[in-house]
Amino acid sequence: MMCGWAKEQIAASWMYTSGSGELEPGDQAKLRHHLAECAECAEEMAQLTGMWERLADLPAPEPGLGLQLRWEATLESLGGAPGGKRRTPEAWRFSLAALWPQRPVWQAGIALACLVVGLAVGGRWQGSAKSEIAALREEVANTKEMVALSLLREQSPSERLRGVDYSARMPRIEPEVVTALIRAVNQDTSVNVRLAAIDALSRASGQPQVRRSLEQALDRQESPTVQAALIGYLVETRDQQALGALRQFSKRPDLEATIRERAGRATQQLTEFK
Amino acid sequence: MHSDHELMVAVSRGDIQAMSELYQRRHRSVFRFFFRLTGRQAVSEDLVHDVFVRMLRYRQTYNAGDSFDAWMYRIARNALADQARKHRLETPAEAHAIETVESDRPDPFDMYAKQQDLALLHRAIRELPDDKRELIVLSRFQGLSYEQIGQIVGAETGTVKVRVFRAMKEMSGIYAGLLREKAL
Ligand SMILES: [Zn+2]
Repeated sequence: MMCGWAKEQIAASWMYTSGSGELEPGDQAKLRHHLAECAECAEEMAQLTGMWERLADLPAPEPGLGLQLRWEATLESLGGAPGGKRRTPEAWRFSLAALWPQRPVWQAGIALACLVVGLAVGGRWQGSAKSEIAALREEVANTKEMVALSLLREQSPSERLRGVDYSARMPRIEPEVVTALIRAVNQDTSVNVRLAAIDALSRASGQPQVRRSLEQALDRQESPTVQAALIGYLVETRDQQALGALRQFSKRPDLEATIRERAGRATQQLTEFK
Repeated sequence: MHSDHELMVAVSRGDIQAMSELYQRRHRSVFRFFFRLTGRQAVSEDLVHDVFVRMLRYRQTYNAGDSFDAWMYRIARNALADQARKHRLETPAEAHAIETVESDRPDPFDMYAKQQDLALLHRAIRELPDDKRELIVLSRFQGLSYEQIGQIVGAETGTVKVRVFRAMKEMSGIYAGLLREKAL
């Protein structure tokens, strides 16, 4: 019985090596006492503590540079596609210019990332002219678009999910893909695919017609999860025009209480953004 | 200097710049969490990206009363579970088993092949069942207290201590087995 208690204390003692001691002074004395009496626990303590300490020697892996670039591209796309149309003034309170004053550097980074992708897919790469980088970037985008569109038409939901995933990784989201994603939100039989498509479309929320389509989609959804995701989406766009759709949606008699409450809160939030 | 929690509260109120700061602070440690669990570089990077996108997406669900670490790791675990589910749907179980052992890049641990003890230790972690490996990663490598781990995995602090102890014990058994194998 005491041994069970001791195991807990031994585990607590390991935390000292990680910097956060978790043994009460009284327990420490009690544990020492038990270890002096119980050979089994004493041996376990010695053996496992040694292993715990040696674990520190395992090297710490690092993420690749591409990860950071991808994150920056995602943040950028939230505020509007690179080179895209101006965002509606009330769309986002924050300014991307403030986030990345050194945008040319970032752009070069993206070009480099595309180059790496190009190499990875087995293409030969020679020279370093800017036009070649641009061409390569275009090619990668086109390939991904094609793959995304064909996957979105697949029978199996997991394939369609991959299609959505693909489109989410495209450097920019093409009109045809946007259309396919909106179709998925409205018609896909899988809730997961619908959710993922809403996610992917957040990159295109700078486009008014996308926002309108998703407003309309809200009224057609039966799944509370998808309803919640769409409400979240509409709040994030901060588009006042969504208020009408949200108000109408709140009146639906078949809503779950939590969804109705969420829709009410969303209406409130959108009103406050005015 | 703001705490992670303060930054996340700011994010939940619409300050996306705070998210940028959180990413800089935390993405490496989230990456290591995934890498130590999956052993795969590209998969871990995808997961890190997914986690921070989800944090943005669900930022309004962040409560001022939450512990940031617990919230972040819960999102990370969900992302991993979703990824595993998707992966299982796509690949037959056997192919999956092989794939998880292989890395997308040369395994960084190979460089330590000379330090055979470390290589064995690494193998022992890899051979642990997922839930036990996760407990060791959270407690030994991610700098979390048992209380925080309890919040993440949904268990009492005492239960977490006992489970970590058992996971270490099992790993020690695997390690001893590998040592014997090598000696033969
Ligand atoms: Zn004992």
